[in-house]
Amino acid sequence: MAADLTAELEQLHAAAFGWALSCCGWDRTAAEDVLQATYLKLLDGRARFDGRSSFRTFVFGVIARTAREARRRSTLRRWLPLASLVLGPEAVDGRPDPATALARADQTARLVRALGRLSARQRQVLHLVFYEDLTIAEAAAVAGVSVGTARTHYERGKAALRRLLEDEDRE
Amino acid sequence: MIERDDHHLRAAFEALRREDAAGTPPFQATVAAARARPAAGPGHRALRLAAAAAAVALVAVVVVSTRRERHGVRLEIDLATVRWQAPTDFLLKLPGDELLRSVPQLGPRRLDWRTL
Repeated sequence: MAADLTAELEQLHAAAFGWALSCCGWDRTAAEDVLQATYLKLLDGRARFDGRSSFRTFVFGVIARTAREARRRSTLRRWLPLASLVLGPEAVDGRPDPATALARADQTARLVRALGRLSARQRQVLHLVFYEDLTIAEAAAVAGVSVGTARTHYERGKAALRRLLEDEDRE
Repeated sequence: MIERDDHHLRAAFEALRREDAAGTPPFQATVAAARARPAAGPGHRALRLAAAAAAVALVAVVVVSTRRERHGVRLEIDLATVRWQAPTDFLLKLPGDELLRSVPQLGPRRLDWRTL
């Protein structure tokens, strides 16, 4: 059972890391941290797959929730310095780390910058559809919104992203 | 769902995916790091709950005291309603002191000859 789970996770690993990167604003350290926390939840049974969706959608949902928890802890830590004593030392600042940003090609760096200017929901839905090849219904399940809401984010996000990329090309 | 005019977006995301895939940490190393993480046990959870409860109580005390001061309501003790007896009060009692607490009535009064 555990071996099956590990094998399935291994197949999804690259896609899961890409999704974790997106959830953490392309902060590589934060994405690795979120992915480790997600794997731990799955392996020790705190997050169980009940078969209501595809395994991929389920894992992506756990990653999104874990990233949200990490962001919440990070915000709490920023406002309450003493909270670090309880929450531990890890931090998610939601910005691309400089090393990863420098290593990017020009085109992808422009895409990451433009995505960073979209709303979080639009960024999530576009990433899930274009990067992870999920359908809008699957993206809605991962993001925890209705299919109609996901479709609206998809259409508006696409239009906004096109505009932002055109602006980047002009600059 | 991807339309024809979305092809340039698709190509841009494909390039991003290739770059990210090249930098993906090895799966086994990620799992090993995950297993090495300290799990949030019941003790840790209880500590978090206690800290959260303490924070909520502190905020409640601050809010209540701030609101009382803002509305001019202060905690006051009405001294008139407080009775306190010293343990040595009995020493002040005099024989027949109840006569001193009543006021004698003045005015016309008929004498009863039978008692004289």
